[in-house]
Amino acid sequence: MNILEWLKHAFEYVGGAQDEPPAGFLIGLGHWWFWAVWWAAMALAIYVFSGQSSKFIYIDF
Amino acid sequence: MIFNSWDYYLLFLIPSAILCRLASPERRPWVIFLSGGLFFTYFSYTQLGGVAGAACLAIFLWESLVSRFYKPSSWVCWFGVTQTVLFLVLFKYRNFLTGIVWRDAAHNPLYWRNAFLPLGISFFTFEFVHYAVDRYKNRTEEGSVTEYLAFILFFPTMVAGPIKRYQDFLPKLRSISREWVIDWQRGFTRILTGLVKKFAVADVLTAYTNHLNATDIGRAYRPILLLWLFAYGIKIYADFSAYSDIAIGSARLFGIRVPENFDWPYLRANITDFWRHWHMSLTNWLIDYIYIPLGGSRRASGQVYANILVTFLVSGIWHGAGVNFIVWGLLHGVMLVVRRMWRRIRPLPPGPPPVWSQLGSWFLTYVGVSLAWAFFCMDVHTALYFFRRLLLG
Repeated sequence: MNILEWLKHAFEYVGGAQDEPPAGFLIGLGHWWFWAVWWAAMALAIYVFSGQSSKFIYIDF
Repeated sequence: MIFNSWDYYLLFLIPSAILCRLASPERRPWVIFLSGGLFFTYFSYTQLGGVAGAACLAIFLWESLVSRFYKPSSWVCWFGVTQTVLFLVLFKYRNFLTGIVWRDAAHNPLYWRNAFLPLGISFFTFEFVHYAVDRYKNRTEEGSVTEYLAFILFFPTMVAGPIKRYQDFLPKLRSISREWVIDWQRGFTRILTGLVKKFAVADVLTAYTNHLNATDIGRAYRPILLLWLFAYGIKIYADFSAYSDIAIGSARLFGIRVPENFDWPYLRANITDFWRHWHMSLTNWLIDYIYIPLGGSRRASGQVYANILVTFLVSGIWHGAGVNFIVWGLLHGVMLVVRRMWRRIRPLPPGPPPVWSQLGSWFLTYVGVSLAWAFFCMDVHTALYFFRRLLLG
């Protein structure tokens, strides 16, 4: 697996699109502290940027 | 404003997902059908169409009734396809089509002043047509009426996809995943990722893309025009892939996996690959229900080019009731035809292409796709004005 494929897999894993991490990725699903911090960081980003939202472009209305 | 509202998560997603997982296999379709019906009624009533919008739930109930008569090689399947397309034309294209005859809405006797779209009509149309055609060709089993209602009213994908296939959905409905922990961990991570993309990327870029109007285009420093358009390309990707992330993550909470919709499309090095990785469930539908029935690639070159153009014309018309969407679809069709012609003249040499060639190909694809967005986000006059300003000052 080349570096680009590894990075793609890693991004998809932390984004929830893959169930297994790429080979050599140190964080597993059992590392609850990592996921707690990661979820908190995403929740914070959502909170900070919310309030300006427009509708989703592809929704029919 | 559905997936980014508390109502969606607290009133619908979490209770329904828990109930679905706790229900017996016989009751599971009922849970999905009833929660989907409530979802449709609630969001139609509160966000579009009011009582009339909510009443459009009848379309689903009627479709489920008619679908019981879909048998292999039966004319009823074509009746189903026809009525589905007519629903779409009536709600989505009525004012556009009658406007071609009567330009002035005030003198258009068929103009619908309080027009609204039933929630998700553009997407449930695809699933209705898919089921009717696949029953006609005996490519899918009938299933029970509640299973079919669960398929068409599965609310995580009801509003804007990903577009599902019945033969893929049915086994998952009958035997949902029992891995609660991993499903919920992955599902919530996917939903949060989608919300971050929507709020922190797509909505932030709105500040740039709002300038894509005739007044601002007329005043702008020319290089800025490109920045605005490229920002729109990023925004629409972040927005729709965010939506898909939330839909796929929501379905995962039910223990049901639905098709992926995006696979890094902007990294693709040619327009064919771009469409294989952009809105994949739509591309696959267009291939299976438009392109292949037209003859696909197994025809003379000229016929194949025509098939590609017709398929992307349909794609353009589906994306919106406006001439600009037709132009956008045809532009993509032309890009695909040009690539196909180029590959006939210069077939790919064996082995991987050199890096400079891949980079050049990627750049051309990215720029082509980004410039074409002009006809997606602006009407034809404004888009042409945009290019006139960009190129001629």
